[in-house]
Amino acid sequence: MTSKATPLSRAVAVGRPWSWRVAAIPLVVIVYLALTGLVANASINVQSLVLVAAVFGILAFSLDLVAGMLGLYSLGQGGFFAIGAYFTAIGAANFEIDVALLLPIVIAVTGLSGAIIGAMSLRVSGLYFAITTFIFTLVLTVLATDLRITGGTQGLLGPALPDFPGSLSALGTPVAWCVMIALLLAMGLIWNVRNSPLYPVLLSIRDAEPFAEAAGARTSLIKIGIFGVSAAMAGAAGWLFSFLGVVSPGQFDWSVSLNILVMVLIGGINTTLGPLVGAIFVTMFPATVNINPWLQEIVYGALSIIAVTMFPEGIIGLARRRLAARTSRRAGRTENATLLTETPAASTLDSRRPADLDRISSQPESPVGEQGSAAVGAVVECRDITFGYGAGPKVLRGVSLTVERGHIHGLIGPNGSGKSTLANVIAGRLTPMAGTILVKGMRVNGLSPSGRARLGLRRTFQAAELVRELTTSQNVSIGLFTRVPGIVRRAALWPLLPSGWRDQAWMRARSSEALRSVEAGAWTERRVGDVPHGIEQLTQLASVCVAGPDIIILDEPATGLSSREVAHLARILTQLKAQGVTLIIIEHQTRFLFPLCDKVTVLNAGEVVLTGTADEVRADPVVRQVYLGE
Amino acid sequence: MLQFVLSGLAIGSIYGLIGMALAICFYVTRVINFSQGQSMMAAIMLTAAISSAGYSPLAAAAAGLVGSCVIAVLAYVVAVRPILALDRFSFGWLVSTLGFAAVVENGAAYLWGPTSRPFPAFLNEASIHLGDAVLTEQQLLAIATAIIAATLFEVVRKTTLFGKLGVAIAADPEMASAIGANTTAVALVAFAIAGLFAGIAGLLIGPSTFANPYLGSTYGTYGFIAMMIGGGTEKPVTAMFGGLLLGVLAEGANALINSQASDWFPFLVLVVILIVTPRGLFNAGHLLPRFRVAATAAARR
Amino acid sequence: MSAGYGRFDVVHDVGLRVGRGEAVALLGPNGAGKTTVLKAIMGLVKQRRGTVRVGETDVSAFPTHRIASGFLAIAPEGRRLFTDLSVEDNLVLGALHLRRETARVQALLDSVYDLFPVLRSYSRRRSAFLSGGEQQMVAIGRMLMSDPDVLLLDEPSVALSPAAVETVVKALIELRRRGASLLLVEQRIDIAVRVCDRLYILTHGEIAEEMTPETVRREGLGIINKYLG
Repeated sequence: MTSKATPLSRAVAVGRPWSWRVAAIPLVVIVYLALTGLVANASINVQSLVLVAAVFGILAFSLDLVAGMLGLYSLGQGGFFAIGAYFTAIGAANFEIDVALLLPIVIAVTGLSGAIIGAMSLRVSGLYFAITTFIFTLVLTVLATDLRITGGTQGLLGPALPDFPGSLSALGTPVAWCVMIALLLAMGLIWNVRNSPLYPVLLSIRDAEPFAEAAGARTSLIKIGIFGVSAAMAGAAGWLFSFLGVVSPGQFDWSVSLNILVMVLIGGINTTLGPLVGAIFVTMFPATVNINPWLQEIVYGALSIIAVTMFPEGIIGLARRRLAARTSRRAGRTENATLLTETPAASTLDSRRPADLDRISSQPESPVGEQGSAAVGAVVECRDITFGYGAGPKVLRGVSLTVERGHIHGLIGPNGSGKSTLANVIAGRLTPMAGTILVKGMRVNGLSPSGRARLGLRRTFQAAELVRELTTSQNVSIGLFTRVPGIVRRAALWPLLPSGWRDQAWMRARSSEALRSVEAGAWTERRVGDVPHGIEQLTQLASVCVAGPDIIILDEPATGLSSREVAHLARILTQLKAQGVTLIIIEHQTRFLFPLCDKVTVLNAGEVVLTGTADEVRADPVVRQVYLGE
Repeated sequence: MLQFVLSGLAIGSIYGLIGMALAICFYVTRVINFSQGQSMMAAIMLTAAISSAGYSPLAAAAAGLVGSCVIAVLAYVVAVRPILALDRFSFGWLVSTLGFAAVVENGAAYLWGPTSRPFPAFLNEASIHLGDAVLTEQQLLAIATAIIAATLFEVVRKTTLFGKLGVAIAADPEMASAIGANTTAVALVAFAIAGLFAGIAGLLIGPSTFANPYLGSTYGTYGFIAMMIGGGTEKPVTAMFGGLLLGVLAEGANALINSQASDWFPFLVLVVILIVTPRGLFNAGHLLPRFRVAATAAARR
Repeated sequence: MSAGYGRFDVVHDVGLRVGRGEAVALLGPNGAGKTTVLKAIMGLVKQRRGTVRVGETDVSAFPTHRIASGFLAIAPEGRRLFTDLSVEDNLVLGALHLRRETARVQALLDSVYDLFPVLRSYSRRRSAFLSGGEQQMVAIGRMLMSDPDVLLLDEPSVALSPAAVETVVKALIELRRRGASLLLVEQRIDIAVRVCDRLYILTHGEIAEEMTPETVRREGLGIINKYLG
């Protein structure tokens, strides 16, 4: 995909180059199967070279799924790989289970153990997750070496796949077909996920988990589930591997897990083909470079250093950048010309009326909202909220707050007075030590942020938490997570499902509509990393509005906006209010806030100073002293 | 009983030294130098090669130590610094330090061949009887050296300006540079010290393992486990405790369960430790995203 | 000078000047880029253009640790003490580039203890166990220890009790009397007016206005509130 969209490509954005891509799929599959036929009839040497590369390709894809999309750098892939291989070898030899039947068993077992290991990622993350999974692999290899059933260091002889029946014998070796088709399926699975609406959600879990949660995604469950799938893929790779000969501990030691990571990093993490390219490079390098084995290892080590230090995006990333540079040079002139007409000032501040806004928020997110919309009264209520971080001083002390339906409720106070903490408590990110929170009359203590999002309570963050490598409209579409059923369930097959196409088109249309309604429509196809701060804030707002929530909490929405953008923001917020959305706004800029608000609550040192209309607040001597500094 | 405790302490002090070497690098740069075992190996190989060329063992040992420091510093310059300069690429160092390890290991194999070579004995094989336990002078020397090195390190860290600077950089590298600390220079020194620790470990273990280019990965792994058991990611000296514990456990398992138990028993212990006290081991502050901290605060309620 | 994170600038073409012995405040709403200005001056923000000059020396290309060696020093937002270390260790580390001149370090240490006598009695205590006000004193002290030409302070009044704020403000006024040059980022206008000779107002990453405290006193706070919203 082009990294920078010109207005021209934006015009055709709705019907992106999907059609030809999908049309090319059967062609690619046919070519692939023909190549498989060649491999299946090739000499043993060629076969083992290709098949080992393919098995590691599957492993690399399984790692890319969790490392590239979720940021969980697992060093446990080798462990799941080993479980799969040993299960197959032992099951076939000792219990005489049919190898075909062993595949679902292996997938179930490794998937389950993957889910258990994945659950650990909720407790530890980053480097420590890598280390814990590393130790998991270490333990498995030690067990494989020392247990009797695994045959010690000698290992076990893997089972053989039954040959094709005579009429099909022209196809060649069945193992080759099995491995190559499995690789195709693995590639297809990852490609499908990458092209499904789950992909932006996964990346947002990786980069901005609070944002994903606030959009209604049960992030812990998704993480565990995806890790289970990845482990099952590795397990299936182990099943395949057992047909290639001996299964012994040396083939699964920790260096295998690391090598899989090396493959992904060298090939290009989070790219369609990178893991495969990396796997081919790493597995074929020793076989094709025929020099002194130590020299060969030295060259390999040096190459991997060079790869990660000089080309951190991997081979595919490098190739893509080269390609992009060439195309942009060719398109350079037009690009420059269009950029001029596209300055933020021109695009965000045109006074086009955001007419689409009505349509967007007209569908309330939850049934509760519908029945409640008639009733007037409190929609968010906090009663005696007390909160402190750890054993430190209390940040909130007995805060009570009532927000009326359809009101814009301002929340002001000096730095450190507990405004953001209160927002986090209402949104469910922090659990209060005491006190009750009611949303739409329902007690929501203990309900997760994603659960509250499903109730129709959405929020923005002080520092916009978005996925920088995705476009603004992809980021906005994350906000639709709760509005489209079965995003997670259908992800594996998404582009192949007609319903997937329909829903994706709908989501894309809704997202650009929402961006247009906040007057950021000109930036739909830009990556968030490339847009100015103001647009980032507006994107965040659009991702909240797109779901049609009943209540929105805005944490310092005007921060970092220019005065024109602030005026524009005020207009949008008024619009939202007109549609009956309740807004809770935390803000410093009282000049922006006061004209909008029905009610303002002033917090100081964790306590409510007063709640009243803007005029009452302005007139209050205490407020003038603590907040306005007079 | 006493026998396996003592011999466990002896081998554990080697693991502890390497664990501390890993931990010292991690302390300053938040990177695990997976080629640490290879710098230990370099010390062994160099010492063996130089002494077999006819020089005095002490001179050879000194050259070995210098060699391991050089290898460790090179690891920083070649495999760590470029990655940290890119900084968005968080796990690249994992690949590059391992790549560096492969280069060093196979370089040694290429130069000196893959077979074991004799290593000069600094002390004769005299054994010392402690009660009913027997310990060689070599083993005693290992324990004493490890204790001295760990203590010295801790004294330096706690009392000297440089040590305190290390504490400051470990806690807040940005602020440390804002008070005038050259973080690159400090990291270089830290890697050199780590190389020294690994080199000392090599000289201590060399007489019993002989000089083999593939020693590095075995001892590197055990050093890593020592660091993880002890919680050395937070405080380097705890890696030494982890190493001693690991050594005693391994020897104890051998003596009390069966002769292969040392292969798996330490891992079992490590897993149990990780399951029981992940907070104790996994609590290196700023590595965990901030929301985890918030979650802890909420969970504590 | 311009500076920013990534491709887009948070602050653009900010030009400001602090005279010798002068105190200048940088006021502005949240998110206007005040902290970024300070970090950029200190070399802590990578993407920056323009020049930063201290006296006759152009420090724009210097790495942070050289800028911190006697040219500039910062007491950052959130104080950022080395909480594992004692008060005195924090202070002594501040004088890192003077480590060979023990007598001078001792003299600086004494002058810091003169300024904040309470710190002398706490010198062995771990800085994690100090109150917010005392921590701010250590942060200011640590900055003074490097004997810099200009002191940069980022919101020293945040999250302090009124009494602690008063102590800090008094200390700043005392520093001014001793001839220090200050660049103070503040949200509280009253503090800026009490301490400084000149006020810059930063909105949306640009200097919107420059004025003197006299103007503020004469015309009332409204004149600034106009910018702060």
